[in-house]
Amino acid sequence: MKASILYLFFIILSSLTSANTITVAQKGRINNLGKAIALAKNGDTIIVQKGHYPSYNTIINKSLTILGKDFPVLDAGFREEVITILARQVKLDGFVIKNSKVGSLRDYAGIRIHRTEQVHISNNKLMNNFFGIYISDSKHVSIYNNSTQGTNSAQNSGNGIHMWQCQDIKINNNYSSGHRDGIYFEFVKKSTISNNRSVKNLRYGLHFMFSDDNLYRGNTFKNNGSGVAVMYSKRIRMYNNLFLENWGSSIYGLLLKDISNCDIKHNRFIRNTTGIYMEGCQGINACNNQFLNNGWAMRVLANCVNGEFTRNNFTANSFDVTTNGSLNLNNFNNNYWDKYEGYDLNKNGIGDIPYHPISLYAQLIEQIPQSVMLMRSFMVNLLDKVERAIPSLTPESVKDNHPKMKPWEI
Amino acid sequence: MKISNLLIICLFLFSCSRKPEEIHFGTDACDHCKMTIMDQKYGAEIVTAKGKVLKFDSAECMVDFLHIGNEELNNPKTIYLTINTAAPGQLIETSTVSFLKDKNFKSPMGGNLASFPSRQLAENNKQSADAQIMTWDELLKSR
Repeated sequence: MKASILYLFFIILSSLTSANTITVAQKGRINNLGKAIALAKNGDTIIVQKGHYPSYNTIINKSLTILGKDFPVLDAGFREEVITILARQVKLDGFVIKNSKVGSLRDYAGIRIHRTEQVHISNNKLMNNFFGIYISDSKHVSIYNNSTQGTNSAQNSGNGIHMWQCQDIKINNNYSSGHRDGIYFEFVKKSTISNNRSVKNLRYGLHFMFSDDNLYRGNTFKNNGSGVAVMYSKRIRMYNNLFLENWGSSIYGLLLKDISNCDIKHNRFIRNTTGIYMEGCQGINACNNQFLNNGWAMRVLANCVNGEFTRNNFTANSFDVTTNGSLNLNNFNNNYWDKYEGYDLNKNGIGDIPYHPISLYAQLIEQIPQSVMLMRSFMVNLLDKVERAIPSLTPESVKDNHPKMKPWEI
Repeated sequence: MKISNLLIICLFLFSCSRKPEEIHFGTDACDHCKMTIMDQKYGAEIVTAKGKVLKFDSAECMVDFLHIGNEELNNPKTIYLTINTAAPGQLIETSTVSFLKDKNFKSPMGGNLASFPSRQLAENNKQSADAQIMTWDELLKSR
């Protein structure tokens, strides 16, 4: 008797506390996500079966786990946003989210996350949305394994993953293409961007504005308008990224503008018009990077101070370093330069005479851009040789006192 | 005779024209911040007395650029224009513009500045309670 009462008690208790699972199917009783959300309570799980569901700004205002089975399609038919998440502790996984409205004044998005925390977005495929994932005023959001394909039009394209005033965001293993900026940070703090691929975006692969203390690591930026732009930010760490084929006029692998105390380590810059462009930067520490086959490996404007450029490899670049003035307050040391023609008599692996990375021709091209047509001509080679022997026009202060004879292994 | 006429016409064609140039969104880069100009709702342009065209991705970038100062810009013949936020892509002279500073307008450089051809239109587009409307001169002074 006592046992059966206890048993009954447990049954009632479990039915009160346990989370329910609601299934959405195209031909079922619950045939769209909005209905399921209306029926659900905090902590429930919604499973959406394979199918095509219209979703005109479905609002998720409860803490739910929403899982798509075999990639069900949520389609806004270019009329609205697709999904808006306003609740804490939401997980959204395994959907195809497409066709958000392309607005002119409002930024319509595939997934909008606003003023919330602990949201997890994973394994979704976003297609043809104006903005892919748009996060504002939020904390502790993780974006894993999604792909987002933009509208690919110069006039009407938003950003792939867009963040505004956020903190502690993790963006890992996503793919972004055909957007304005692949990933965009504005007023975002303490966030990590790792192992993403940003390809063929119209402006930048990754873009920081007024965002401090962030880390990006192991990402690939290929064929974008420019690879990465870091602007008006502090303490950004950039490790192990690959900047590939960002090619064209006023296009850069990495564009740094008015930033301070940043680390650039173990990155590879391959076949970019300009590997790194720096303007108004302070305390940049660039070491162990690989510059291969770029037009300009580094373009450092004279208003940069306290830069440390050490242990980098400069290989097969048309110009290693150029500047528009003198770079008195920056230090180049211990780099490998393939154009170095000095000697190493004591065989310690370090050249005995300093290397001047700025060539006369680079200075010339700075003043007269048209002289690019003389590139690789006999005259230019001769001029450079003479200048190396008897420096007179190139800034004497810019030199590497301990150039490495063999490339660093990076 | 005919050839000389043609030459004169050609001369006229090549003479300096001080005309605003259309901003090519997606290809032109901002002369101040180096960013590619993308957003058709925002943008600005300066045409100097000599006819040189400088393009900007936003009004705040143009203001910052003026703040640094430049001899050439002191000439009263310099023309300043911004993109009409209400008609994306269209350039209007700043002397006639009402600037709306409203945090709901996310202009590219974080200035939250939209430009409208009339004060009434700026009022109509106001979204936040603390939004301000400024003329070009007021905007320059507020910087």
